[in-house]
Amino acid sequence: MKALKADTFEPRLKVLNRDQAWAIHEAALEILGKTGVRMEHRGALEMLLDAGAESSEGGWVKLPASVVEKALESAPRQIDLYDQQGNEAMCLTNGNAYYGTGSDATFTLDLESGERRRTVLKDVANFARLVDGLENMSFAMSMANPDDVPVESIYVYVFAEMVRNSSKPIVFIADSGNDIARIHDIACQVASGEENLQRKPFLLNYSEAISPLRFPQNVMEKLIFCAEHRVPICLPSGSNAGGGAPVTLAGAMAIGIAENLVGLTVHQLAGKGAPFLFGPNCSVLDMKSTVVSYGCPEWSLTQAALADMRDEIYGLPIWAFAGASDAKVMDAQAGAEAMFSIVTALLSRANLIHDVGFLEYGNTSSLEMVTMADELVAMSRFFTRGIPVNQETLALDAIQRVAGGGPGSIFLLDDHTFEHFMKAQFLPRLLDRSRYDSWNEAGAADLYRACNTEARRILSEHQVAAKPDGVLAEIDRIVKAG
Amino acid sequence: MNDFKALSEAISKGDINKAVAETKSALEAGISAQDILNQGLIATMNEVGDRYSKGLIFVPQMLRSAKTMQECTKLLKPYFQEGDVVSKGQVLMGTVRGDLHDIGKNLVSMMLEGAGFTITDLGVDVAPEIFVEKVREVEPDIVGMSALLSTTMPAMADTIEALQKAGLRKKVKIMIGGAPVTERYAQKIGADAYGSDAGSAVTRAKELLGIDRSEE
Repeated sequence: MKALKADTFEPRLKVLNRDQAWAIHEAALEILGKTGVRMEHRGALEMLLDAGAESSEGGWVKLPASVVEKALESAPRQIDLYDQQGNEAMCLTNGNAYYGTGSDATFTLDLESGERRRTVLKDVANFARLVDGLENMSFAMSMANPDDVPVESIYVYVFAEMVRNSSKPIVFIADSGNDIARIHDIACQVASGEENLQRKPFLLNYSEAISPLRFPQNVMEKLIFCAEHRVPICLPSGSNAGGGAPVTLAGAMAIGIAENLVGLTVHQLAGKGAPFLFGPNCSVLDMKSTVVSYGCPEWSLTQAALADMRDEIYGLPIWAFAGASDAKVMDAQAGAEAMFSIVTALLSRANLIHDVGFLEYGNTSSLEMVTMADELVAMSRFFTRGIPVNQETLALDAIQRVAGGGPGSIFLLDDHTFEHFMKAQFLPRLLDRSRYDSWNEAGAADLYRACNTEARRILSEHQVAAKPDGVLAEIDRIVKAG
Repeated sequence: MNDFKALSEAISKGDINKAVAETKSALEAGISAQDILNQGLIATMNEVGDRYSKGLIFVPQMLRSAKTMQECTKLLKPYFQEGDVVSKGQVLMGTVRGDLHDIGKNLVSMMLEGAGFTITDLGVDVAPEIFVEKVREVEPDIVGMSALLSTTMPAMADTIEALQKAGLRKKVKIMIGGAPVTERYAQKIGADAYGSDAGSAVTRAKELLGIDRSEE
C-alpha cells in the first residue's frame, strides 16, 4: 500500500493577477513622476532633492522611479517585534499574520453600563490588559483618546499606560518629533537601553501622511526620528476611495501606494535599512454619511490586493485592518462585518492587522468586541490551516475498528477520537452551541453578554508580567516631565 | 408664482448645461433674479438637501446639484444691486492651527453654499490671529472651525479666546466640528454649536441665525 500523505494546501485568497498588480504600481510611479507630492519638511525635501528628485512650483517635488526603487531595495523584508520581556513575538514577513487593537477612539462602550461614553486613561489600561490576556491578540494599541490627560502629552500618557498594563508589543501614535522622543525614552527604560531596544524592538509607530499627496512637517519629524533610531514605523495615508483618493479602488490604491513609496524613500534616506511596514489605508468614504467605513468589503479587498502586490513586487511586510464595524452597538452587523474582515485578512496573509474591536467606524471601542474578535481570529486560523491529509487524519484504522467492530462501537469512544479531537476540531469558547434548554437555563445570554462576562473575567483574573519598580518610577518621571 | 419646474429638475439631476440654459431663459422672460434665486435655485437645493437627509440620494449627487446651482447663481450676480439680500448669511470657514486636513471642512462649505450661505474659506492651518483678522475684515455671521486631530482641537478654544480678547466674540456665532469633536467639547470651550456632519452643520447654521424653513 502506498503512503497516504500529501502536502497541505493552506487556503489563500488572491484578488489581483500579475498584470493588475504591476499596472497599479506603474500608476503610483506615474503619480510621483508627474504630479509629485507636497513635502512640507525642509530636511526631508532636501534629502529627496539630493537623491535625484526634482522640485517644482509651490513646494511640490517630483520623484523619478529610480529614487523610489532604491528605497524598495534597501528596506528589510522582515520586521521582528518582541514582547516587552524580549521574547520573540511577531515575525512580520511573508504569510505571517498578527491581530491587535486600534488607536484613538473618542468613545468606548462602558463595561458596566453598556453606554457609549467619552474615553479616559483607565480605558487604555483595560484594553491593554485585555489584549495581554487574549491568546489571539498579538499587540496593543490605545483604543482611546483619553479625556482626562493633558492633550499636549496625550500620546506619552497613553503609551506609558499601555506599558504598565501589557507585555505584548505596542503600536503607538505620536504627535511630532517632541513627544515621540519622550515615548522612545520610556521604551528605552522598558528594554534597558536603546541598544537593546534596537536589537529587540517591542514597538512600532503609526503615522499618517495626508491624502492626497501631502506630507506635513510633524509627520516627517516622526518618520525621520524612527528611521534614525531604528524604531519600526508605518506611514499609511487616508487614501480612502472618494475621500482622500479617487472613488475607484485602483486609483485609491495607486495614490495610497505612491504616498507610501514617498514615506519609504525619505525613511530609507534618513536611515538605510531601517524597518518600514508598507501599506496605505484604502477604505471608502461612505457616499451617504461621509464616514470612512470600517465594515465595508472594499477595505478588505484593497488590502488583499496589497498582499498580492507584496508577493508580486514589494516583498515588504504590510499593514492592514480587521475586526471592526460601522455598527453602533455590538450587534449582528458588528459580528458580520468583523468576521468578514478578519477571515479575509488572514486568507490574504496580511501581516500586521490592527483596529480589532472598533465600532462606529472607529469612533467607539469595545472590550466585548475585542473579546469576540479573539474567538473569530481563532476560527479563521483554524480555517486557513486547511485540511492535513495523512495516515493519521485519514484514519482508516479507526474506520476499520469502529465500522468493522461489534455493536456499540462508536467513533466517540475510539482512541483515535480521544487523541485527535482537540486539534482536529475548532472548539469554540464563546460562540454558543449549547442545547436550547441548557442555554435558556443558564440565562439565555447572547454573544454580547457572553463577551462582556469574559472581558470582565480576564480583567479581574489576568496577571500582567510585572515590571521592575525602578523602571515604573522612571516612566512616571518621564511622563510628568512633559 | 413663476414656473421653475424645468430649472428645478435640471438642478436636481445635476445637469449643468440645462440648468444654465433654463436660468438664462428665465432672465430673458423677465423674471427677477431674486425670484429665480429664491424660488428656483434655493428652493430646489432645500429639496435636494431633504432628499439627502432622508437617504434618498448620495453625497456626490447632492454636491453636483450644489455645483449646478452655483453655476446658475453666477448668471444672476450682475442683476443684483447693493442692498439686495442674496445670502442666508456669511460664514467664515477654516481648519484650525496645526491641522492640515480639509476634506470635512470643504464638504461643510459646499453644503452651506448650496443652502444659500456665502462662504469665505480660509483654508487649513489657520492661526487664531488670522481668524481674528478675517472676522474684522469680512464681518461674518458665523465662524466655522474644523479639526481632525485631538491634538489640534485646543486651537479651537484658542481661537475663541482670541476673538474674545479682540472684542469680536459677541459679533459672531461659532460653530465647530471634526472627528474628535463632541457636543460636550463645544459647550466646554464656549462654541455656539456643534455639527456632527455636513448635513447637521447646515441645520445648526440656520438655527444659529434663526432661519426658519417657513421663511424660505
